[in-house]
Amino acid sequence: MLELLAVILGGVVTFISRAIFLVSKKLRPPKRAERYLPLVGPAVLAAIAVPGILAPRGEVNLVDTIPAVIAAVVTWLVWRWTKQIAIGLLAGLLLWWGILAVLVLGFGVVR
Amino acid sequence: MPDDIPFSVDDRVRAARRAGMRGAGVVVLSYIPFGLAAGAAMGATSVPAWISIVSSPVIFAGAAQIAAVQLLHVGAGLALVVFTVAVINARHLLYSAALAPHLADWTAPQRLWAAFLLADPIYALVAARYDGPDGGGSDREKRAFYFGAGFVCLVGWTSLLAAGIVVGAFIPEWVPFELAIPLTFLLLTLPLVRNSAGLVAAAVAGIVATLAHSLPTGVGLMVGAVAGVIAGVVTLNLTDRRGAEPGDA
Repeated sequence: MLELLAVILGGVVTFISRAIFLVSKKLRPPKRAERYLPLVGPAVLAAIAVPGILAPRGEVNLVDTIPAVIAAVVTWLVWRWTKQIAIGLLAGLLLWWGILAVLVLGFGVVR
Repeated sequence: MPDDIPFSVDDRVRAARRAGMRGAGVVVLSYIPFGLAAGAAMGATSVPAWISIVSSPVIFAGAAQIAAVQLLHVGAGLALVVFTVAVINARHLLYSAALAPHLADWTAPQRLWAAFLLADPIYALVAARYDGPDGGGSDREKRAFYFGAGFVCLVGWTSLLAAGIVVGAFIPEWVPFELAIPLTFLLLTLPLVRNSAGLVAAAVAGIVATLAHSLPTGVGLMVGAVAGVIAGVVTLNLTDRRGAEPGDA
């Protein structure tokens, strides 16, 4: 049951990161960590997001990459405009489906 | 605290609990599309649905849950999955440190339960409340707000994700869905980018992770993330020096 164990251990490490400074009254984060920790979120999440956008199905090619990049740019613009994650996601997905439909139905691109 | 308030202590505690639940209710409503999409994407993996559902109350952090399920789907090892979750959730160290002074007088079990519930939206709600003019009121009121908000978020998030997994099963095979998770992560990244160092960290991490794509599962992710953090640290120090920020020698 590797999957269950992975989820449970993931819960344990998450709990530790949330509990550590609440439990110990003496422990304080080092100044340097406080400065650099905010960089970890953007780096890790972008490292997950960007390969999935540039290579949605594992490799960079025109038919996969261009529609995904257009959808990602529009997702970003809509988010900047509305500040709503949900609306951004919906707009990006709908546009992507639209582009794929045009490519497949209109131009006979085989996916 | 002014004592001309016509409410009893219990009334105020109840009001605080209601305020917490109401605030969290709004958060849960705004998470509906994201929760459903994340659930549908998790349901489309080879990971059993019940394990994806269990990940909500166990990990209780959306991005880490999706990443963990995605990594398990492509056959990543235990250590890599746990390490990735730890790195994605490292930001909770900051929440923990930031809230510590507010929770200093709570009992140990109360602080442990609070830690368990300390997801992003809880931190956002609680930090805003405790930094308000009355500091969130008495300790009892602060706890009522915290646990009211935490309970609603925990139940709401778990339900949304489970609903997404169920709904996702009805999405026909031919509907492409592979962009849902990357777009979701893009949207989780954007609000965290607050300065040029954050932008550099995200851009470098994304590009390096794409270039390192052919490395074993998840290793490319880590290589990209590390490169991004290093680039961000360098940028932070360069911009700080230019801005001549005092301190931190």
